[in-house]
Amino acid sequence: MNNTDFQIAICGSAGDGTIAAGDVMKRAMARAGFKVIAFDIYPPEIRGFGKCIARIRVTTEQVYSLKHHSDILVSLNDSHAIPHVPEVGRYGAVIYDQSAIAAVAEGEHISGHVQPDHLPYSLPLREISEQTTGSARSRNIVVLGYVAGLYDLPKDAFHDIIQEKFGRKAASIVESNIKAFEAGYALGADTFKLDFIQVGKPADKVNGNQVVMMTGNAAVVRGSLDAGLDAYFGYPITPATSIMEMLATELPKRGGRLLQTEDEIAALAATVGAGYAGARAATATSGPGLALMVEMLGLGVMAEVPSVIFVSQRGGPSTGMPTKTEQSDLHLAVFGGAGDCQRIVMAPTNVEGAYRCAGKAFEMAEKYQTPVIVLLDLYLSNRYETVILPKVNPFEPDSSKGRSASDPNKPYQRFAATDDHISPRAVPGEDGAIHTVTGLEHNELGRPNDQPDNHVRMSDKRHLKLQQALSHPGITIHKRFGDEGPVDVGILGWGSTFGEILEAMFLAREEGIRCSAMKAVMLSPLPVEPIKAFFDDCGAVLVPELNYEGQFANLVMSQIGRPVTRLNRVPGVPMKVSDILDEIRMLAERNRAVAAE
Amino acid sequence: MADLREPVYLENKLAEVRDSGRLDYRSKSLPTWCPGCGYFSVAEGVTKALNDLHIANKDVTVVSGIGCASRFPFFTDTYGFHTLHGRTLPVATGIKVANDDLTVIVVGGDGDAFAIGGGHIPHAARRNVDITYLLFDNGIYGLTKGQTSPTSVHGFKTGTSPFENQDQPLNPLMMLLSYGSSWVGQAYAGEPHHLADMIAKAVTHRGFSYLHILSPCVTFDKTSMTYSNLNMMVRDLPENHDTSDMMAAMKEAATVDHPALGVFYEEARPTLADGFDEIIRRAQGRAAGPAAVAAE
Repeated sequence: MNNTDFQIAICGSAGDGTIAAGDVMKRAMARAGFKVIAFDIYPPEIRGFGKCIARIRVTTEQVYSLKHHSDILVSLNDSHAIPHVPEVGRYGAVIYDQSAIAAVAEGEHISGHVQPDHLPYSLPLREISEQTTGSARSRNIVVLGYVAGLYDLPKDAFHDIIQEKFGRKAASIVESNIKAFEAGYALGADTFKLDFIQVGKPADKVNGNQVVMMTGNAAVVRGSLDAGLDAYFGYPITPATSIMEMLATELPKRGGRLLQTEDEIAALAATVGAGYAGARAATATSGPGLALMVEMLGLGVMAEVPSVIFVSQRGGPSTGMPTKTEQSDLHLAVFGGAGDCQRIVMAPTNVEGAYRCAGKAFEMAEKYQTPVIVLLDLYLSNRYETVILPKVNPFEPDSSKGRSASDPNKPYQRFAATDDHISPRAVPGEDGAIHTVTGLEHNELGRPNDQPDNHVRMSDKRHLKLQQALSHPGITIHKRFGDEGPVDVGILGWGSTFGEILEAMFLAREEGIRCSAMKAVMLSPLPVEPIKAFFDDCGAVLVPELNYEGQFANLVMSQIGRPVTRLNRVPGVPMKVSDILDEIRMLAERNRAVAAE
Repeated sequence: MADLREPVYLENKLAEVRDSGRLDYRSKSLPTWCPGCGYFSVAEGVTKALNDLHIANKDVTVVSGIGCASRFPFFTDTYGFHTLHGRTLPVATGIKVANDDLTVIVVGGDGDAFAIGGGHIPHAARRNVDITYLLFDNGIYGLTKGQTSPTSVHGFKTGTSPFENQDQPLNPLMMLLSYGSSWVGQAYAGEPHHLADMIAKAVTHRGFSYLHILSPCVTFDKTSMTYSNLNMMVRDLPENHDTSDMMAAMKEAATVDHPALGVFYEEARPTLADGFDEIIRRAQGRAAGPAAVAAE
């Protein structure tokens, strides 16, 4: 049970240290043993005075979404923070700088916007910063100290993180920031707390396992490295670029190779080339890059060559909204390409899942000899969560079927028919297994062959082998949460939105609605039977997703053959928990009414 | 011309070819090219070069795209990857990144290379990927039965240019020289012995080697790049040509009316793999230990 659950939003202008303050906050809380989820929003422009917001939710048990309401709003720039005052919940705190009050016109100071059920804390942030550090630049640290003092947050953790964050700079900078933090802390500890925010004790540390805080993209990197990534090829694109940048530092340390290619076409082409030659290879991109890659993806399917493609979705179509989140590349990921071209597509729903899916993607690509897409989105790529990494590396270093014994006097049957539809696979350099692979339809030897029976047989093979991915060991393919057995409302979700779905489902259950939520991590091939069983239990099935057309709803309806209620939003930001909750209430009521008739 | 004082008997010639070991590099599949196609010379040249250089079959990978040249990997007894139209070079780059010990030969036609694949060539060249690029230039799209290509001459009449091609042809040799290809040469399918010799040189070169092969399409081009025309046009590079002189190479490459055969340019410089070795050395030298990625 969460005896701690508060969300703080820090809002300021670029240059106020907003994101930095949020960073210290989330790291300190994670260091202290709390669970954290954090998502920053900042302007797409590199320079300027745009609005920055760092939101951090701190809990005892890990949660996978931010709350719709923040408990604490810290303003480092009133004009940016004023529109966010309404997001502060009932009896929540609004903390701002008092020293600016005389200088602004009426209505432009945040104190005039604080609502009657908010607790305002007006502080001399600038003054304290100047007194302790000689400059106003440490206002962000002073206010962190204040929050820590007010809510009795563990001071040592903040000291550690400030030391680590500023330790690379001059010693005097660490010293003055500690002083700023301490001054704020003293003031906070001295303040009579009026709000209802309760901070309990963090959960016990998980013995032996490594607790880290990382973004979805960092989890992809970590999973790839743990799975033994040999070669990476990529082309910069938001929001996937940080995967490549982290790997550029880490991969060569382990003897791996990373190449920045001339475009996304070349990125996947080289990935497929490296996969053909026996390496574990990957690329990462966003929707526009995947659009360029689908031709090569088809070759990977036809020639049965392993490759891993990480796709972090952003707002579309076309160049769309590069710094906004969306889930609108599902159709492209699952169906994109010429011909019947099934591949494996997985969509993790949280940061830990991103780690799992990333590592398992390499196992699957190698084992089933196919391209594997891991579908993330900007929200999941960039948000931080505390993650418990397993003590023992959970990924198989080699899951290849291998070249298998073959008669040296006969040509090598690279595409030989087998019981599991997976053929032996030799790679260049191996003796006695010479063969050619091709994007043309081919026979068991890999020779071009367009005879009717051959195309039927090979199409079967390419599709049937992938069904085994649905029982691949060590990964959650689908999972149901909440009430068991028959329920009024079932919520079926995928990707990062599942965090908001879970949150809404728990709130609905607190209201007495019988409901449960199911996530599908594997989208291709779709786990049809478990989803059918879920439909059997649900009075109505709701599919919330961040796209206009209801792409997952389309996929589910086409394969399950039952109606769903769609909930589609395209604001470019995560879905509101309240929107999902409203829909659950409406469906529950309708279902009860139908049952009563 | 062959020396006619001694009669040449077919069985003797066959025995000579068999004994040479060249056939060990030929697969059981017979080429699907039209009789008289220049590509037969390239196939013979590749098998002869590999045989002469004693490179084991298992260590060779032939990568092709789409076009008449693309069936090439099926005709050699080596590993092969028949890829997509225009995407040979990045696929070959990936193969070399995964396993630098392989001898990788990329084959492609003028359309595959300079139309759809044009964006990849500068990057494979400047990175000095240690592969050999054999470019089969027949100045036409043969597999789709005769349309103009980026190297078709001005005024060429084809199915897609019934009122004659109004575009200027590219000059691939000048392009590759300026792209930073560390070995650039030209050969002619009508001179198979020289061609085989040039293929061997290109394969031996450590780094990106580009061999431009003039090769008539006997089926769809009866007027332009025919054997009789090319026989009259081609010439050898001047005996004193300095292969380290970029400007001299450029000047020779600019003479398109009389294409010169031979090695235009060569230089020794670090390959893509050398660059990776350097990056790994620096990364590991700097690393204090297995650093956690973005860990708390």
